[in-house]
Amino acid sequence: MDPVIPSPDIIPVHWLWFQILLLVTFILHLIMMNLILGGTLLALWDKVVNRKESNYAGTLPVILALTINLGVPPLLFVQVLYGHLFYSASVTQAVPWILVIPALILGYYGSYIYVSKRNKSPQLAMTGLAVSALLILYTGFMLVNNSTLTLVPERFAMHLNNPGGWNLNIGEPSLWPRYLHFITSAIAIAALGIAIHAKFAFKDDPSKADMIIKSSLRRFAWFTLAQFIFGTLFWLSTPKEVWMIFMGGNMTATILMVTSWLLSASMVYTAFRGRLNITLFHALLVLIMMVIMREYMRFAYLRDIFSPSHLENKDELWPLLVFLILFIAGLGAIYYMIRLATSKNNES
Amino acid sequence: MNYPVWYLPGTGGSLLIAIIAIIHVVIAHFAVGGGLFLVLTEHKAYRTKDSALLNYVKSHTWFFLLLTMVMGGVTGVGIWFIIALVHPAATSFLIHQFVFAWAIEWVFFIAEIVALLIYHYRFGKMSRRNHLIMGWLYFIFAWLSLFVINGILAFMLTPGRWLETGNFWHGLFNPGFLPTLIFRTAIAAIIAGVFGLITALFKKDKALRQTIMKWCAGWMYIPLAILALSALYYTVVIDAEALANILHFNPESIIFRKIIVYTSIILFGLGLFTLIRFPRKLQGVTVTLLVTITFVWMGGFEYLREIARKPYVIYETLYSNGIRPGEIEDINASGFLAAARWSRIKEVTDENFSEAGGEIFRLQCLSCHTENNYNGVKNKVELMTERGIEAQLTGMGKINTYMPPFAGTSTEKKALAAWLYRELLGKEAEVPQQVVIPELSHKVPPFDPLDDDYVLLLWNDIGMKCISDNDKILAFLPPANTLNAQLIQRASKPVIIPDGYTLSWETEEQHRNPQDHTRFWEYDSLVYGKDLPVATGLTGSQMSGEMVSVNGLWVADRIPIMPYRDDGVYNPYPLITVTARNPEGNVVARTSAVAPVSTGMGCRNCHGGGWSWNNVSGLADKTALNILRVHDKYSGTTLLEDAEKGVPRLCQECHADPIVGRQGNPEILNFSSSIHGFHANYLTGMYQESCNLCHPSEPAGATNCMRGRHADFLDCTSCHGTIEDHALALLKGEAQLKKAGRLAASLKPVSVTTWEEINPRTPWLMEPDCRGCHTNFNIAVDGFEGSAYNRWAPGATALYRNRTDNQGMMCAACHGSPHAIYGAYNIYDPMRDNIQPLQYQGLAGTIGTHESCRVCHTIDMVTSGHHRNQVNRLYEAVLQYE
Repeated sequence: MDPVIPSPDIIPVHWLWFQILLLVTFILHLIMMNLILGGTLLALWDKVVNRKESNYAGTLPVILALTINLGVPPLLFVQVLYGHLFYSASVTQAVPWILVIPALILGYYGSYIYVSKRNKSPQLAMTGLAVSALLILYTGFMLVNNSTLTLVPERFAMHLNNPGGWNLNIGEPSLWPRYLHFITSAIAIAALGIAIHAKFAFKDDPSKADMIIKSSLRRFAWFTLAQFIFGTLFWLSTPKEVWMIFMGGNMTATILMVTSWLLSASMVYTAFRGRLNITLFHALLVLIMMVIMREYMRFAYLRDIFSPSHLENKDELWPLLVFLILFIAGLGAIYYMIRLATSKNNES
Repeated sequence: MNYPVWYLPGTGGSLLIAIIAIIHVVIAHFAVGGGLFLVLTEHKAYRTKDSALLNYVKSHTWFFLLLTMVMGGVTGVGIWFIIALVHPAATSFLIHQFVFAWAIEWVFFIAEIVALLIYHYRFGKMSRRNHLIMGWLYFIFAWLSLFVINGILAFMLTPGRWLETGNFWHGLFNPGFLPTLIFRTAIAAIIAGVFGLITALFKKDKALRQTIMKWCAGWMYIPLAILALSALYYTVVIDAEALANILHFNPESIIFRKIIVYTSIILFGLGLFTLIRFPRKLQGVTVTLLVTITFVWMGGFEYLREIARKPYVIYETLYSNGIRPGEIEDINASGFLAAARWSRIKEVTDENFSEAGGEIFRLQCLSCHTENNYNGVKNKVELMTERGIEAQLTGMGKINTYMPPFAGTSTEKKALAAWLYRELLGKEAEVPQQVVIPELSHKVPPFDPLDDDYVLLLWNDIGMKCISDNDKILAFLPPANTLNAQLIQRASKPVIIPDGYTLSWETEEQHRNPQDHTRFWEYDSLVYGKDLPVATGLTGSQMSGEMVSVNGLWVADRIPIMPYRDDGVYNPYPLITVTARNPEGNVVARTSAVAPVSTGMGCRNCHGGGWSWNNVSGLADKTALNILRVHDKYSGTTLLEDAEKGVPRLCQECHADPIVGRQGNPEILNFSSSIHGFHANYLTGMYQESCNLCHPSEPAGATNCMRGRHADFLDCTSCHGTIEDHALALLKGEAQLKKAGRLAASLKPVSVTTWEEINPRTPWLMEPDCRGCHTNFNIAVDGFEGSAYNRWAPGATALYRNRTDNQGMMCAACHGSPHAIYGAYNIYDPMRDNIQPLQYQGLAGTIGTHESCRVCHTIDMVTSGHHRNQVNRLYEAVLQYE
């Protein structure tokens, strides 16, 4: 084994459990992340061009809260499967990595300043929004840095020459394309989110809702089209052994890639046609496929180094079972709370 | 070991953890207690129909949401980030062990967030009942979140049965779970009360403000009793060692104990002011102080919990530096650098010696220490020598159980000590002391075997009298050199003269003014309780005098001779000449013997300070002060302060010691047990070298006290055992004292296999028995095996120095002083310790050797009258020094 790759710890249950949990929770986090990053950037753009925004931006702090919250489980499960690589990559770039925390706090407060001051103090609100956007972009940049460095353990050696934690994975060819890919997808998904928000927020004003939905879907379509460029750039910036898995190297990965291209083309069409539901359905499918492809890509990167299937496990099933029960109960509780909040009894 | 180390020489990772953790922990507790506070205050508002109070709840909810959800939530992730950067191994362990606990906690967390968002955004837009349900649900989820996290946090200190089973549930519901859950719940309520004051301040209505403040005060004081009781409960469930670390051994804890006491007084004292209707500005100041103090207060608790857990980050499972206890033995054998995956250096060489030490520091120490800032090591080692630092590393994890043991080979340990000393402290590498030994000479007094009727045999009782020679700061060995003599009237059956004669002694001329070379007579009253005339010993002996006959043995008792000559030469072997006169006053015999005396106590080798006397010998003030500093640290004494006030102490005031004749305090270890027991932990595995570090036995030193024939093929450990053996036997002699167990806990015997095999002994009264090897008085040429270690002379009268043969002759009279038995070799003057054998028989061997019975007997002897195996013992070695 390469001397700078730490030994992994034993996992409690079969690795596939964690793989599934990682996929499911990452998809949820990714949706929220797209909404907050893209939503913030779109809100900022709307402010800059003085375009009258819909009131979706008021939800940004809530979305950010949920994004951070939903970021916890994938971060947890990825550490269970890839912790030994993840921690090493984190330490290698410790300083910019830990700065994500104050960045998130300030970004969070920035979004609250924007929401609470947008009518009373537009300048302050604008500043809050801009700061928030910048810091969320920074957070995304660091997450991309960390996740790409985790894939190339041979580059951990940079820590030996600079152990102060001031490294970044700038030398990674796929870093910027991957980052751009995420930003554009975030904007696209956020535009879709705005459309959905408008559908519910302006129930009483269908023409306004329709206008926002159509314009948002157009934005969605354009940014999805842009993804054909950025996504391809990202794909081809990875090592040959990696991108080849989507070109017949791995049949499942190839099928996923081809299908997602076709679905994407289809959803651009439906978006330009202003059809929200079918576009949303397409988008969700593409997003799920992208997340699965991301895992295939990770396997390909680490193929000669590590596979989670090699992890030793303790077969400790009870804690998993209790978690699953409580997870379902938690979902039930959330459903109950939302019902309670929107209950007609509240009028009494 | 397994993971890279974030190099933070300035701030250190643990400070970063502390900063984020304290902020998070306060807010996280507020998130729990505050939830209950909100819903109960809302209830109260409805019950009292107080719409103003309800408005307060609404505004407080907004503040609560902004603080707990943003700052609390993100700093929670922040702790995760920072511990993964500083303690990746521990983080990985906790994640893998408790992944589903974390996942469950996340379920509660997201439910908590949804509840809070609804509670806030739908305030006033829901029915009272539904809104209250939402409030209660928030609190329940928040408390359940605490419930889970608390289990993991408590596990880190009290893993309980998990250590044996590795079972998830045993780990989560560990012995510390319940008390800390109660404790943290009480703290959550208190913090809710304190933070409730913040929003109350913004209420302009005086009456409302006062109502809220009183309400908040209730939140602060009612849980206080629960808090105190659960804290006591907690002390019962945690490991005794962990509690001892907090209360006694880890000096780091002192500041945090004080912080908790003082901040508690301020917090709950100042809190009372909220009950008084002060002007708003003054209330503002009070509340600001209270909130600030809350953070410090919480920081005190969290720090103390951290300290209790040391040296582990996960108790008995993972050390703070990421090494597992079970790995230490392998690392010690194969090397730390070779085992550390992230080391740039894989092996210590002469070329990279210090650099390799620095690498070890970064990889093994940096998780807790910085170089010279927060918890910096620089000030911890600056009073030590390089050798002392090495000893400190050896002792880590033993007596100071809050440090993990050093992991690595002895070369790596030396390299780390070298880096700390040479690079961090910037000091020159130590070079071994270059001692120039002056050539001394002696005259062998005349003896005519045909005409002389008397033989006078003279010897020092213990073979080397060490003197602590400081007195201003501390003292433990006064100048007190005792010489014994036997006067024999020659005959076919010689007679030992018990009395009636006069035996007078006189020291060498250059040694007659000890008062010019020591402060003993300045501090004798303070230290020994006797105001002695100068150059007078504790029993009144001076530089010359008459020996006293005690049961037939002539004694010059405790002459205060020093090794310093008036001309500036260090001579640890001054001669004392004794002249015997018959009752008529005629000189019948005269001889000389060395009064071995050394001030070469090697405390400075580790404690620094150098030698006090001409860079050759003597315990310097700086050394002594450093010693007291350490003593105070470990034993909670105030010796340093006393010494600085001009009140030096004799160690034996407290530590009993037969050689100094002090009873000491029976509740604490005797001097020998204590000093050997303590230092054995720091000088482990060094065999003879450890003896030489403290005692003047170093062959290249200024004394080299091992002069006897045994020195040719034995060393100190041959009879006394290694320092571990030596210490364990002494400690076992006082096994009834708790401290003995603590000092012995980390020591492993070398000469025997187990603690059970060790025979306990009392210092000075039970010494290694010569018959351990010399069974039946045989000698080497007869062939023997064994060791004197663990075969103690059963009491004072059986000791070599006190024992006689079948005829009343003392063993030492014919064989010489302990540690200098004939024929001895002295580095100052080769035959200096053999004066009487040379005087009476011309051979530097035992009196009577090589059929020299005629030294005393006027006829040839053929029987072994003194002891078995006595005659016809031809031992070649005695001739070599002629």
